[in-house]
Amino acid sequence: MIKLPSLPMALRQFFKKPVTNFFPAKNLPPSITGFLQSVADGKATIHPPIPIPPKYRGKIAYDRDTCIGCKMCIRVCPANAIEFIPETKRMRIWVTQCVFCGQCTDICPKGSLHMSYEFLLATENRFSESMIVE
Amino acid sequence: MSEKKAPYELPIGPIHPALKEPINFTFKMNGEVVEEVDFAPGRVHRGIEWMGMRRNPVQILHLCDRICGICGVHHALVFAQAVEQIAEIDVPDRAYYIRTIIAELERIQSHILWAGVAAHELGFDTLFYLAWQIREESVDVIEYITGNRINYGIMMFGGTRRDITPDMYPRINQALSYYEGLFDKMVNLFLTDKTIAMRCKNTGVLSKRRALELATVGPTARASGLAMDVRVDSPYAAYGDLDIDIILPEVYRDETVGDVYDRIVVRIFEVKQSIGIIRQCMAQMPEGPVLAEEKYAKLLLGLKKVAGETFARVEAPRGEDMHYVRMNGKQEAPEMWKVKASTYSNQMAWVEILRGEQIADIPIIVASIDPCMSCTDRVAVVNQEGEGGILTKEYLHRLSVEKTRRMQV
Amino acid sequence: MSSDILLTLAGVVLVTLFGIVAGLFLMGIDRICAARMQMRQGPPLTQPFTDIRKLLCKDSVVPANAIPALFNAAPIVAFASAVTVLFYLPLGSILPVGTPLPMVGEYGDLILIMYLLTVPALAMVVGGFASGSPYASVGAQREMVTMIAYELPLAIAIVAIAWRLAVAGLVMPFSVNTLAAHPIWTVVGPIGIIGCILLLIVLVWVTPAELSRIPCDTPEAETELCGGLLVEYSGRNLALFSLSMAAKLVAMAGLSVLLFLPWNLSPVIGISGIGAAGIDLLFFLAKVIVVMFFSVTLVRVVMARFRINTVVSLYWGWLTTIGLIGMFLIIIDGSITYAGCLL
Repeated sequence: MIKLPSLPMALRQFFKKPVTNFFPAKNLPPSITGFLQSVADGKATIHPPIPIPPKYRGKIAYDRDTCIGCKMCIRVCPANAIEFIPETKRMRIWVTQCVFCGQCTDICPKGSLHMSYEFLLATENRFSESMIVE
Repeated sequence: MSEKKAPYELPIGPIHPALKEPINFTFKMNGEVVEEVDFAPGRVHRGIEWMGMRRNPVQILHLCDRICGICGVHHALVFAQAVEQIAEIDVPDRAYYIRTIIAELERIQSHILWAGVAAHELGFDTLFYLAWQIREESVDVIEYITGNRINYGIMMFGGTRRDITPDMYPRINQALSYYEGLFDKMVNLFLTDKTIAMRCKNTGVLSKRRALELATVGPTARASGLAMDVRVDSPYAAYGDLDIDIILPEVYRDETVGDVYDRIVVRIFEVKQSIGIIRQCMAQMPEGPVLAEEKYAKLLLGLKKVAGETFARVEAPRGEDMHYVRMNGKQEAPEMWKVKASTYSNQMAWVEILRGEQIADIPIIVASIDPCMSCTDRVAVVNQEGEGGILTKEYLHRLSVEKTRRMQV
Repeated sequence: MSSDILLTLAGVVLVTLFGIVAGLFLMGIDRICAARMQMRQGPPLTQPFTDIRKLLCKDSVVPANAIPALFNAAPIVAFASAVTVLFYLPLGSILPVGTPLPMVGEYGDLILIMYLLTVPALAMVVGGFASGSPYASVGAQREMVTMIAYELPLAIAIVAIAWRLAVAGLVMPFSVNTLAAHPIWTVVGPIGIIGCILLLIVLVWVTPAELSRIPCDTPEAETELCGGLLVEYSGRNLALFSLSMAAKLVAMAGLSVLLFLPWNLSPVIGISGIGAAGIDLLFFLAKVIVVMFFSVTLVRVVMARFRINTVVSLYWGWLTTIGLIGMFLIIIDGSITYAGCLL
């Protein structure tokens, strides 16, 4: 009489494992990078994240030695996240401003920049060491 | 309960659980029935065009991705097309096909997201969770291809930044088979369910004539029977080579009513159409480069010198999305950039379809045209004193009367 | 005399606590079952307790447009009346009239329960109208309409069963003791069993309307009215409303159990005394969980929300018809069994 196609589906799903992708920690830690540090030290357990695909655009990684200070990356950064330091002729990248587009990576003539696979980056201090790449 | 129900005003928004984005609705109600609707968008205005006029085109491409989370890559695509038209850059064929594949993947993900949101507005949370769980597969494939789930950053002037190599095909095929297998289940759950049919049939009806007069676009127009689709009418990217039908509600129902149910039908069947298009693209993809100009420095230098104005349009998941770009050759940033998103054309339909409906149906009708206010809000109204506000006709009339009096003195 | 009063007070407090704890526990089970059916993890079982504790810590904001006296009094009335219903229901083998906790006198039967069940809903309506918000007014109107709609099938079900017991020769057919001692299934013949099944269906459908759950949760629709009736309530007032909804859950499910599944475990196992009361209480909880799963949780998960006119046409149209057919079958059964003896 009343067609309810969701009914058999709901009953079947009752017995299946939930598909929730759990948060890494049981309760929210004050700083994710601090939490990762304590996991590395062996003091806390983590729900492993799902596998990362290749060529994932994570946090930027910068090789100071190969950089020539041409400032091409600053020209294309949409978020103005890269700062040029004139004294050393090198860059400083502010990860909190970065939009992870990877444009700087593509344009760098020497290949000094590449996107790593790190994505668990949340922290409450925007000037902490993990948020500035130089 | 038998005395005459006094008319009152019910505000919905800007913050309301029924609305996914802030819009200020004011309804004049009589009991439970809506008599008149007024709405004021403009609450998600972020000044994107202002930002765009201070950046060079490569930076604007990444800005376009962030105009909207759900239809972002279409904005980037249409901006890339516009600049390519001005600069007369020839895009290689392989890049056209890759652009098509990414655009269709985004369409799948957007329509499934909308299906879940519509179910949530009806109070049917089971389908909401199911739809978003199904959507995960398409977003995972997009992450595999482009490197990120949203804000793909894959468009570039003259092609795309990444290639879809043949070793990626198995993963994409796996996702497509997943969706093909689930399609019947989706049709069964959404379209044969009695409670959804009770709520959605003959609700929010937009007749074909009114849809044409109100200039609606996209699935909203197609659900009312208008056969318009930018992919078929003025093909871009690889659509010219592909075999595409325009999806109208007749694929499932016997007649076109133009109600909320028709819009659900059109969107679910468009998911199936997108799967077919991606399979066609993967079969037909030619070899070749994916970028016309590999060196970005040369590209930027070239873009600095071009001049001209153009507009380009694509079929975003919500309808026709149009960008107008003017470059004057003296500066890097465009002189003028205007985005006309699809919801801008569709939102006037709200005034028509909400009239005479009950409060209970307001959320589903508002959600049925798939509003994306992030795409839409481009202009804020500022009056002469610099305060924000709406200029009413009486106010303008009064201003002109005062000026006349001043001039007569 | 004073020991009687003390005993009554102890009974009252114990049943209130039981109502709160069992109600919140049932809500926790409902949420986990619904989540598992949606392939989600779901909250921990003690989540409703945490919610109530959090609500009690916050202050109750009274809007400027509201009528403070009614606004603050409505939750208290709702909670008190929801718990009062539990005094009149048999909880396992703890019967309200008599042993072992004589909380109420000889008065108090099904008709009283039926009327008491309307009081929490009325209190919510008064609270909604006193909130001074258009959403709350619309929600309160809808709650009144829903109440009018579901009272009729509920009354039909209860009266039909009580009438059948009276025809079978039992005195005081509306008293809960009679119902607990003589389940309806043992009294009726085969035609009556079909009638009773129809009335069971009616009661299973009245339960979500009574408890304001999907598909009939139009008064508190989250996406339509930001919470409808309860939109302006916060802090302690909202905690009291939640507790009243929890107690009503136990009461409504307990009513269904009383009418259709009143068997106890202790005669089967053969214990007596306090042990019997404990075992029967747990069995009562198990029955209530099963009833709640089928009439609240499963229905909530597989359907969309109805519009208010659908609710009215469903309850006044379809369910009333089914109830009347059930009642008719029971009348036929009664007149066949007691040929000609129509009371």
